[in-house]
Amino acid sequence: MPTTTRSSERTARAHAGRWARLAALLAGAALLAGCVAQPKPEELFRLSPESPAHQAVQTRRFETSNETELLSASAAVLQDLGYQITESVRELGFLRAAKERSARQYGQEIGRFLLFVVSTLGLASGSNTLILLPVDLHQQINASLVTRRLDADGSRHEVRILFYRIVWKSDGTSGNQWIAPGEQKLQMIRDPEVYQQFFARLSKAVFLEAHKI
Amino acid sequence: MRSEVDVRWLPALVLGLALVACASPPQPTPDLLAPDDAQMNLRNMQTRSFDLTDRNQALRGVIAALQDLGFIIERANEPLGLVTGARFAEPRWTDVVGITVTVRPQEGGKMLIRANAIFNNEPITDPQIYQNFFATLERSMFIGRN
Repeated sequence: MPTTTRSSERTARAHAGRWARLAALLAGAALLAGCVAQPKPEELFRLSPESPAHQAVQTRRFETSNETELLSASAAVLQDLGYQITESVRELGFLRAAKERSARQYGQEIGRFLLFVVSTLGLASGSNTLILLPVDLHQQINASLVTRRLDADGSRHEVRILFYRIVWKSDGTSGNQWIAPGEQKLQMIRDPEVYQQFFARLSKAVFLEAHKI
Repeated sequence: MRSEVDVRWLPALVLGLALVACASPPQPTPDLLAPDDAQMNLRNMQTRSFDLTDRNQALRGVIAALQDLGFIIERANEPLGLVTGARFAEPRWTDVVGITVTVRPQEGGKMLIRANAIFNNEPITDPQIYQNFFATLERSMFIGRN
């Protein structure tokens, strides 16, 4: 009997040691990842390999000499999509627009609830780790648009638009610690469909307006 | 006896204090607000002159270069020749790179372009970064895009 206890103790200690080692390894890996992800100064302001692909998604060309018309049509399309124009500079063909939307997702809410239930069970068994994950609460979707002349005679113009969003998180709890709401997360929108949708509407609008007179 | 000694020392003490008081406020030197070398170096690396006369064209070139670099154009002012942009230092969404570019016409058909960049509210002082920026700017300004 005593031998078994000792041996089980030993295995328990061995387990603990293994877990500690694993945790240390993970922490080390996380630290290393942190170092790797830090952008090197010489890489800032250098074109990334993905830059041509991004440009292709964000840019369309139009056979029109009327840049102002293109710009106002873009503003109209953004309005149709629910955006408010927040900034406009006609001389540079520049527009900025924003819309506010809820950012709540079922997946996150369910995850938050499940983790809460699990942590409550832990609470019942004596450990003090009540966990309420902060979830995405609110988002601001932004668009930054620029028109540009392509030829010297100005017969063709291009429109480049960039969508991105700012997400605000809700409050949460981690053990005794209360996590304040309002943490921000910034994210580029890279989904090509969003861009296709915008440009499909814009080309329709330009076509209609080009034939209006 | 003792008080006599004190009295004898008193005028000297008062005079000494007065002198110290006179000397203590530091007089500003004439070059207090003059630019130092580090400032001049930073300005030199942030500035480049281009053979251009059309300010609008230069501004549009700046905007195109910033967009190519993945920047969000946040503000632009044509009469003042000003463009402001920002970008997340992908893949880390928590780091933000900000830049303000000013375009000013110079005498003799030159255009002076100055860029101020910050990384998470700290000014960028690495010359290599500004060289990268101007290399990209030259590319998008002078190479035809068809």
